[in-house]
Amino acid sequence: MDKKELTEILFKLTEQNGVSGDEFCAAQTAASILEKYTSDVTVDDFGNVFANIGKREEGKPHIMLDAHIDEIGFIVTYITDNGFLKISNCGGIDRRLLLAQQVEILCSDGRKIFGVITSTPPHLETDDKKAPKLEDIYVDLGMPKDKVEDIVSLGDRVVILNQPCVLLDDMVTSKCLDDRAGVLTLIQTLDLLKYEFESLNCSISVVLSSQEETGERGAKTSAYKINPDMAIAVDVSFAKVDGDKKDTCGIIKKGPMIGISPSLSRDFSDRLIRIAKEKDIPYQIEVMGGTTGTNADAIGITRGGVKTVTVSIPLKYMHTPVEIISISDIESSACLIAEFLRNGVKADV
Amino acid sequence: MFDTLCDLCVLNGISGDEEKIRSYIISRISGKCEYKVDNLGNIIAFKKGRNTPKNKVLLSAHMDEVGLIVKYINDDGSLKVESVGGVDPRVVFGRQVTVGKNNTIGVVGGVAIHNLSKDERDKAVPFDKLTVDIGANNRSEAEKIVSLGDSVCFKSDYIEFGEGFVMSKAIDDRFGCAVLLELIESELEYDAYFTFVVQEEVGLRGATAASYTVDPDYAIVIEATTAADIPSADGEKSVCKCGSGPVVTFMDRSTIYNKELYNLALDTARENNIPCQTKTMIAGGNDAGAIHISRGGVKTLAVSVPCRYIHSPSCMAKKDDMKNSLTLIKLVTEKLYNR
Repeated sequence: MDKKELTEILFKLTEQNGVSGDEFCAAQTAASILEKYTSDVTVDDFGNVFANIGKREEGKPHIMLDAHIDEIGFIVTYITDNGFLKISNCGGIDRRLLLAQQVEILCSDGRKIFGVITSTPPHLETDDKKAPKLEDIYVDLGMPKDKVEDIVSLGDRVVILNQPCVLLDDMVTSKCLDDRAGVLTLIQTLDLLKYEFESLNCSISVVLSSQEETGERGAKTSAYKINPDMAIAVDVSFAKVDGDKKDTCGIIKKGPMIGISPSLSRDFSDRLIRIAKEKDIPYQIEVMGGTTGTNADAIGITRGGVKTVTVSIPLKYMHTPVEIISISDIESSACLIAEFLRNGVKADV
Repeated sequence: MFDTLCDLCVLNGISGDEEKIRSYIISRISGKCEYKVDNLGNIIAFKKGRNTPKNKVLLSAHMDEVGLIVKYINDDGSLKVESVGGVDPRVVFGRQVTVGKNNTIGVVGGVAIHNLSKDERDKAVPFDKLTVDIGANNRSEAEKIVSLGDSVCFKSDYIEFGEGFVMSKAIDDRFGCAVLLELIESELEYDAYFTFVVQEEVGLRGATAASYTVDPDYAIVIEATTAADIPSADGEKSVCKCGSGPVVTFMDRSTIYNKELYNLALDTARENNIPCQTKTMIAGGNDAGAIHISRGGVKTLAVSVPCRYIHSPSCMAKKDDMKNSLTLIKLVTEKLYNR
């Protein structure tokens, strides 16, 4: 697919909501896209999406390609006497950006209700400006309690509203590029390989895991089910922004970040690096001291252990509603994974 | 009035860069009254009524809104900004903005929460640590699109929702502008002066000059004011409440209001069964601060619509409060002409 098609699919994916534990809309949309490449697409009770490609056979490695389908958001915990909502977080929320954000309540009957997060007026402000605690903020629906109770139920999810948008060149901004960018990368990987599925010397399960943001729970159950020989967790990682230290981040537009970490298979990392060099695919190395904070942590210790590596899309402003990626990084990441599936899988795993 | 309000709110015009608002207003009033644009960019309008009154009455609203201004372009193509007017950096971080004349879309970002110390995570991101990112790869790419001094505006739709609420940026003070347009486009009993002024948010500057020029006997400032009727602010700290009608104040941080006009407004509201409230804290300020000390002093009143989350991209005000404000303003104005 070209950049325009990739951007269209990305926005289709980010427009659908999938707050951890309630991934249905996003999962359904992604599943319908994956159906273009295989008829074997399922969504399990846990919210994980599976798309299987190629016949699984003895002596032929089975590769799990993972990205998480869930996104950070909120959950309604209480309705106050004057009709404001109290909310709690699903995943790692950046409290510094919450005040006066425009949000949408995703009601259990499918309705979406507009609201605004309360902000502290200046006359109530203490000297030192703090990021508000979640206990101190509310969602304002502009309605009294009885009306709110007719529409909103405790447990409904809440997302920050933001229109996806193309910036300069091929830079795009949206909510939940973490990890719909990973989902798009896997879709593009299949697109690159779509005429070669028969000739690959491996079988593949694309898995879009639920509940990564709340503790890699979907990946744990899906990797158990798939029982792969090798796995690539495709997530986003930090692209350097103004104020960042150089050594902790990748650079946007410089290609996939290949993970090296004690918790990852060094052999697998090295293979990807070799392929990238051979095929002239731009790449960056992301060294992590312990675990990776991605689904790779859960997948690697599934059953008797899985050789796992991370391929991460550099992303600016992580866990904000205005994350930025470059489509070129999706292209090069997909290219790297496709080349691995073509040429890098050895029968000896 | 609400169609006009919608038109006005979605236009961008931070202090000192009110051109788009001015053009819109001129397009609406031209042919309906006499007007001129002064050296600061204020629109000073005079509309003839059926009669000439004893007193010169001025109605004033400000065109500008709070926002940001570009002050530096980083090597990596991101922009450093400073606030124009009172903006809490917490209401701009993590959202889209528009930059410059062509409304180039950018986002306000900073170092990801994961890469901060525990201490930093609990602090608001100050303006010097925020950047606006338009997706440029480096300074020279950014320079093709952005110049130092370019305006940066909140990006927000105009939405009607909940029980009679409106949400948009810049309700402060496009509401006032919408009221003035409503009056100019109606038949007036008496001659009246209207000023659409600049630079309220950076120190009541437009109103200072415009009120000097008009030299009125009486003035009414039409505004939006902070309502904090939210669960985290009880009792007097809510200041005023959405749904309780227009706000008329005896004192704020810029003005001790003329007692006679203050009482006149409250009495007029009572006589006509219009809900009306006063502020329960001495907070905020508006162009009355400049107008009431213009020349030898002007008897001044402010009528404001209560507005939650003012100075953010998500101001909320109630349509009923706006309608009631308009009604009250008309009634009070009529009483001033021949007082």
